[in-house]
Amino acid sequence: MRAAIANLVRRHPEAITITLVVLISLTFAIATGGSWLSVGNLQSLSQLTAVLAIMAFGEAIVIATGQIDISVGSVSGIAALTFLGLAPGVGCGLALLAALVSGSLIGVINGVFVALVGIPSLLVTLGTLFLFQGIGYAVTSGFSFAASTLVRKQFTYNAFGGGTAAEINTGVIWALIILVVLQLVVFETPIGNRLLAVGGDAVSSFSRGVNVTRIKFGVFVISGVLAALSGVLDSAFIGYADGSFGVSMELSAIAAAVLGGCHLAGGRISLVGTLLGAFILRGIQSFLIILGVQPQWYVLAVGLIVVLTSLVDRTLTKLALKR
Amino acid sequence: MRKLLKRPDLGIIIGCLFVFALFSLWNPEQWFNWGTIRNIGEYTAILGLLAIGQTFVILIREIDLSVGSVYGMVGITFVGLENNNVSDVLAFVLAMLLALLIGLANAALVTRGKLSSMIVTLGGLFFYRGVIYVHGGVTGVPQAARQNWFAQLLGGHWLQIENGFGVLLILGSLCAVILHDTRFGNHLLALGGDPASAESQGVPVNKVRTIAFCLCSLFAGLSAIVTLTHDPETNVSLGTGMELEAIAAVVVGGTLLTGGRGTMLGTILGAFFFTAVRSEMVALGAPPSWYVSFVGIALLIVVTINTLLVKRLRNQWIR
Amino acid sequence: MDKIVSRLAAVPAKSMMTGMDGEIREGGSPKTPLISIRNVSLSYGNFRALTDVSVDFYQGELVGLVGDNGAGKTTLIRIISGIIPPTSGEVYFDGEKITKFHPKKAIDLGLECIQQTIGLCDNLSVGRNYFLGREPIRRIFGLPFLDKKKIKEASAKVVHDFGLRDSVDVDDEIALLSGGEKQTFKIARAVTFRNRVIIMDEPTNHLSVRERAHVNELALQLKQQGLLVIYITHDIFQIHRIADRIVILENGRKVTDVPREAMSSEALEGIIRDGAGTPLKGRSAS
Repeated sequence: MRAAIANLVRRHPEAITITLVVLISLTFAIATGGSWLSVGNLQSLSQLTAVLAIMAFGEAIVIATGQIDISVGSVSGIAALTFLGLAPGVGCGLALLAALVSGSLIGVINGVFVALVGIPSLLVTLGTLFLFQGIGYAVTSGFSFAASTLVRKQFTYNAFGGGTAAEINTGVIWALIILVVLQLVVFETPIGNRLLAVGGDAVSSFSRGVNVTRIKFGVFVISGVLAALSGVLDSAFIGYADGSFGVSMELSAIAAAVLGGCHLAGGRISLVGTLLGAFILRGIQSFLIILGVQPQWYVLAVGLIVVLTSLVDRTLTKLALKR
Repeated sequence: MRKLLKRPDLGIIIGCLFVFALFSLWNPEQWFNWGTIRNIGEYTAILGLLAIGQTFVILIREIDLSVGSVYGMVGITFVGLENNNVSDVLAFVLAMLLALLIGLANAALVTRGKLSSMIVTLGGLFFYRGVIYVHGGVTGVPQAARQNWFAQLLGGHWLQIENGFGVLLILGSLCAVILHDTRFGNHLLALGGDPASAESQGVPVNKVRTIAFCLCSLFAGLSAIVTLTHDPETNVSLGTGMELEAIAAVVVGGTLLTGGRGTMLGTILGAFFFTAVRSEMVALGAPPSWYVSFVGIALLIVVTINTLLVKRLRNQWIR
Repeated sequence: MDKIVSRLAAVPAKSMMTGMDGEIREGGSPKTPLISIRNVSLSYGNFRALTDVSVDFYQGELVGLVGDNGAGKTTLIRIISGIIPPTSGEVYFDGEKITKFHPKKAIDLGLECIQQTIGLCDNLSVGRNYFLGREPIRRIFGLPFLDKKKIKEASAKVVHDFGLRDSVDVDDEIALLSGGEKQTFKIARAVTFRNRVIIMDEPTNHLSVRERAHVNELALQLKQQGLLVIYITHDIFQIHRIADRIVILENGRKVTDVPREAMSSEALEGIIRDGAGTPLKGRSAS
């Protein structure tokens, strides 16, 4: 029985997360007398989840190769500023493109230093985190960029986070699309196989002919683009952004990925789990807000959950390996 | 001479000499006045103490992301206790005890729970910050407590030198000796260099890890207390982001993230480097965001150089 | 595995004497070596792993590469299989000088390897490990997707033919296999994908006595099919029985390179045991 559960968790790292989600949702629904499940709250919750999830997807891909990207918060900030800053001048379409390109460029910088020069990813992305956080502040110099009514009317603006489709924020739709695409790429394609192999044992993969450098480089570009998209979607929803946009969000992204069953050592990833992990984090937040509980408890809860989930996962993994 | 070239902290030594020379020539009135010197001394001490603790952990291939939150928590505990008429010394001891407990908890989760230190300390970062938020923080410290001999010892100054800086120098030297001249230091470096070999050679790896994490938290706590005895302004975001600055200082100082190689001198110089640059930037009127970007660029440049140098030395070109 | 040994005779190697483009190549005839190592040295900082090693390998021979621990055998193999480049010296394959060292290139040239400590990713299933780097695909809307059916069937057939117990499912993670099963898997993989060269680094690790005999038979069969087989082992007596040539490495240098008939296994063992007088590895003279 024990082995069966353990095996289930190994094959589907998101098993614990799904259980948690169900438990938490039930608890919250009951504790708030149903208001946690209100349309209004779910709408807001889904938007918040989607934005974090997209950033966390990119993070999960990087973590799957055994690396880490802590610059994603700064990237989303730069992207948000680029988008809102350029939109009035060149229109939302081009501004969106510019924002995504900026994200990919930062990803390229990260990738070059990590995969080509060989510096540990934690350090490189720490450096780019600082570098672009500073740039973000400098560019706004105390002010913020806001979306004018003209900008808000544009189709692209609405299609990318500013509007809704069938009562759901468009950001949510993007999150689901990306989830499906990544799920297919990681688990159903050769490149996905090699990505997982690199995370499991980079030297062995290399010996089998896998282009480890290219994969280690590529994941940072993906992470950069997704973080940028996340920034655009969120800033479009909120309608404005300043220099502090995205600061510290990388921690939540990592927490969401870990909660979802991704192993920091690499080789094990769950995209569905990551989405649910983001949902749990934001769900707790909204729960506390509804209850009028000090939102300060949220940060505390996140810390506990991250460690506890890892412990449980580690224990089950160990059990599964016992033959 | 060859030995000098092989030092991991050679880079930062040159960097600091360069910075020193540059600022002396460029802006001598600003640079060579006592106010600046004391300021730099104080902030180098704060960042430096934090970074010394982190050095122990990074040397064994682990990381401690919670030090910023620990800094905040211990600092607020210290001030809070003083506000409740607890004597300075006792408040210090209790606050440091808290730091020690946190270090033990981190170590236990890593050694027994077999979790990665990144996860454990990431969780700690959130958790302890949460505790601070929930508690709500404290404000100010009564005048009497500030004048107390102990507070003055840590937070005051003597002959234009901040005592905190003195603490940094004394403890820094002590840690350098521990690292290079004691059996524990040897164990630590061995564990970081090659964990498997170290274990098979009889190094008590779990004990070494535990001590490293405890030292890290203790220094974080000490740094907070030195800060607050100097200036008791606190708020709930005390220490936010400092873990990243500490890691940057350690790494720029020549310590390798892959463990087993680094010096305390390098770490202290790394802290000095960033502090001096920040001070000069502020003096020149540059907006604070420039400093943040500078840290990022400096980090990338220094680590690139260090990595390429080490690879040259070891002839390891990773593909 | 005994099934395989007899089956192997019937099934020819992938490209034997033909090149990748289907042309019959003369490469590796008694005149020109298939692989040629010239004055190769490898240093890690001050540590010399290999010093001035020169060896030629020909198609259709079984070469035993022996030596004590730390002699440099695995290092040499890593250079040949493209994992690390030499610090100095040249490597030639089929007369062409190798300029870029990458395992993909080695595989494309026809090398299959059974490495000692590397080669398996614990987090992947048996099937995925089997096809890692050369996954079979089927295209949907032009995009490459893993052909999971083929992966499952092909890998299942091979591993069970080679003797893995039936309860092992190719969808199981390879981490769940025992040491011996992992080794059997590596052998199965190398043999089935065999091309022009098979390198076996201590292939009998973790195997039972009977299985060891099968591996040696296998090596012989592969040679008879025309492949170059480089066999690294500690067991000089075993290899002396099947090899055409024995090469001994000591402290990073080649000390012996003789046809089997030239020396008895006792004499060869004596060289390994007592040393041939090479200086110890370590700080180089500079």
